[in-house]
Amino acid sequence: MNDNVIIRLLNATISYQNRTAIRDVSLEIHQGEFVGIIGPNGSGKTTLLKSVLGLVCPTSGSIQIFDCACHKLRCHHRAKIGYIPQKGQIDHNFPVTVAETVMMGRYSSLGLFKHPSKKDKELVVNALAEVGMADYKDAPLGHLSGGQQQRVMIARALVQQPEILLMDEPTTGIDTPTQYSMIKFISGLHKNLNLTVLLVTHDINMISPYVDRMALLKTRLYAFGTPSEVLNEKILTEVYGQQVIVTTKEGGTYVIAGDYHHHA
Amino acid sequence: MLEMLSYEFMQRAILASIVIGLVCSIIGVFVILKNLTFIGAGTSHAAFAGVTLGYLTGFNPLAVAIVFSLLTVWIVGYLNKKGALMLDTSVGMFYSLTMALAVLFIGLMKVYNAEVYGYLFGSILSVTKMDLKVILILGAIVLLIVYLFFKEFHFITFDEEMAKASGIAAGWLSFLLLNLIAITIVVSLKSVGAILVFALIVTPAAAAYQLTYSMIRMFSYSAIIGVGSSVAGVLLSYWFDLPSGATTVLFVSGVFFLSVIFSPKRRIAVNSVD
Ligand SMILES: Nc1ncnc2c1ncn2[C@@H]1O[C@H](COP(=O)(O)OP(=O)(O)O)[C@@H](O)[C@H]1O
Ligand SMILES: [Mg+2]
Repeated sequence: MNDNVIIRLLNATISYQNRTAIRDVSLEIHQGEFVGIIGPNGSGKTTLLKSVLGLVCPTSGSIQIFDCACHKLRCHHRAKIGYIPQKGQIDHNFPVTVAETVMMGRYSSLGLFKHPSKKDKELVVNALAEVGMADYKDAPLGHLSGGQQQRVMIARALVQQPEILLMDEPTTGIDTPTQYSMIKFISGLHKNLNLTVLLVTHDINMISPYVDRMALLKTRLYAFGTPSEVLNEKILTEVYGQQVIVTTKEGGTYVIAGDYHHHA
Repeated sequence: MLEMLSYEFMQRAILASIVIGLVCSIIGVFVILKNLTFIGAGTSHAAFAGVTLGYLTGFNPLAVAIVFSLLTVWIVGYLNKKGALMLDTSVGMFYSLTMALAVLFIGLMKVYNAEVYGYLFGSILSVTKMDLKVILILGAIVLLIVYLFFKEFHFITFDEEMAKASGIAAGWLSFLLLNLIAITIVVSLKSVGAILVFALIVTPAAAAYQLTYSMIRMFSYSAIIGVGSSVAGVLLSYWFDLPSGATTVLFVSGVFFLSVIFSPKRRIAVNSVD
């Protein structure tokens, strides 16, 4: 039907030794889409991102990325996927500079036995300029704020010149105004570079104005569609296990609830 | 002063100490940033057990030491990968197990063998032509592999999961790194000994860690401190007739404490409290 499908899950189930993280999920993500992934803690969001990298693969069903089966995904495929893992603050004293961190994004594209060239250094400088961190090139990574570190991580993903960008809770632990400017910035990247973006977050209201579609996950895929389709009181209440109110204001759809965490 | 360089044993000792100082201090950066200190310490005990078995059976002690130390990292790495045991737990077991083997092999020798104790405490002034050959070849192999895979090692040291996700064969390279640690220990056995070798691996890197926020620069600082200390150890032990291994370790430890005192990292810590 669609030849520009870049990620395709078909009845995919992913289990760890004794726990099923994702059950029977089918979805298709198109090239150039911005998809938000939401769901309570432990609902399989991180697992879904890792499966797109081929770091975990389905125990039944199938996952295809760039027309390549999950378990056949090799290093050169991964090099085309920028991944920004869920992260704590890095050690204040860890000896790595901002430029060194971003340069690591070039490593997998360089291939074995090749050392970074002048051109790679230029790409690093450009990527840092793109995320507004050019002045911090030689700063120790550990000395930056959470939001600045996150920008460096985005620059590291960008020098890979990726086709897909995966972000796992990029705004967690960052102050609210910075969160909003970060989401705006990511949305800008998505548009300017025609990137396919998968972004995991707990903050539904923050991303709903920017994403093309949302996936609501709790082991199973409860909903997948535009924000106004997915943000449905009945489904959200069922998934989060508590009363949720959905309102529309100035064309946007917003969710009100006391607490997003699921209590089993 | 330069006349000592006309003695062949001094030439060998200085050459050996340069190579060992370089290899240990480069590998040491990976060891301390990847928290592999304990596995290194465990491996040096295994290597010593290999030396004792070599003397007992008449095989080349260093060859048996290599087999023992590689086997240790393979088994420990395997147990860890299978999720059977935490890395530190299995290393802890091997630490005592291999020491027990060493004591057993020494006991079986019946006669007192002073050379065995040379491998425990090190004696770089008695490095033979054959020893030097082994040190040069193994040292070159370790340095060449580090050079070839430098960017990959650099990345997995920063963040193994992120490296893997961006297309680096992280699991395989981590295992290769453990093997390089094992070889490095065997390279250094004759000169600093099984008990002290770990200071030569960890301390230069730990001193370099105090002095810079760049991982690349940390490698150069560590190499300078490592080679400098290990040559200084040889010279001091020759001039003052001191045990070479101990002299080297005390010297490099002194450098470490100086670097803590002059560390810009401490100064920032103090400033930020103000
Ligand atoms: N490496 C692992 N081994 C075993 N279980 C895991 C592993 N990673 C995640 N899980 C389990 O799988 C489920 C989904 O986890 P995850 O994908 O991290 O969810 P989320 O990111 O939505 O919080 C959780 O129950 C978690 O405990
Ligand atoms: Mg998660």
